[in-house]
Amino acid sequence: MLVSDLPNSYQEVFKTSRGAVYQCDASNRLILAFWDTFTPMSSRDFAQFRRMVDTVDVRQMALSTDAADDVEILTPPRSERCYVLTLCEVIHLRELLGGAQAMLDLNSLLRECGCRLS
Amino acid sequence: MKDLARLRTPIKESVELALNQQIQMEMVSSSRYLAMAGWCDRNGFDYSAGFFYKQSEEEREHAMKFFHYLNDQGATSISPEIPPVQQEFDTLRSIYEGALEQEIAVTDSINRIVAICRRESDFVTEELLKWYIKEQMEEEYIARRCIELFGQIPADQIFELDKQLSEVSYDGNAFE
Ligand SMILES: [Fe+2]
Ligand SMILES: [Fe+2]
Repeated sequence: MLVSDLPNSYQEVFKTSRGAVYQCDASNRLILAFWDTFTPMSSRDFAQFRRMVDTVDVRQMALSTDAADDVEILTPPRSERCYVLTLCEVIHLRELLGGAQAMLDLNSLLRECGCRLS
Repeated sequence: MKDLARLRTPIKESVELALNQQIQMEMVSSSRYLAMAGWCDRNGFDYSAGFFYKQSEEEREHAMKFFHYLNDQGATSISPEIPPVQQEFDTLRSIYEGALEQEIAVTDSINRIVAICRRESDFVTEELLKWYIKEQMEEEYIARRCIELFGQIPADQIFELDKQLSEVSYDGNAFE
């Protein structure tokens, strides 16, 4: 899917040079766009996946000479997608998901005080 | 933009994390008490064994209460990993002293979670934690009273001591 073909219901939550996170209010899904793939996830699965990415042992990946430590294989909960990530990609994904979470937290904060983002 | 996380659950992530850690702590407690019960059992302290078997089950119930609460509230509860626990002990007294230390650690932990709930304005979880606060007051009382008995009953009356220890209860809870 090209970015220009994104459904109208997709709202951008956060974007980096490597990917983006969108929210679709019609389907109550968060969509992770990474490497030209679009993976819709529920809010729970998104949080779960973010924790998986956050808890990858990047130190081990950096220091180990074992081939098995060169990549990290992560599957978002209840999805067919499988990410095989290098150390750099783990860091990029962390940045993307962390940034998206900050924006989602901000949205919560605004809702709590009666404001609303469009 | 919808607040999807809030639509799913009122529980904030920091509270969810703290409760999952508490689930683990209660399950570790359960495992420790079971080891204590086993030691008492094979060393002839039948009454204390019964006391600790019961404690072990209660700790599991404490964990399950949190486990169901998180799930019912739309959050995610995690079945914890339990590290190996100590299986051998020096004396009956050292077991009861270990039990008190354990309960103090749990009380401190519950207090910390209450502080997190207040920071996040999560008054529902705080309400649930009130039950645990009362429970901890009782548990600490009982463990302290048990240790006191070691000083009151002569060491050569070990059968009587074992029996008295298992009968300690708290029926003057000021909150009830
Ligand atoms: Fe407990
Ligand atoms: Fe306890």
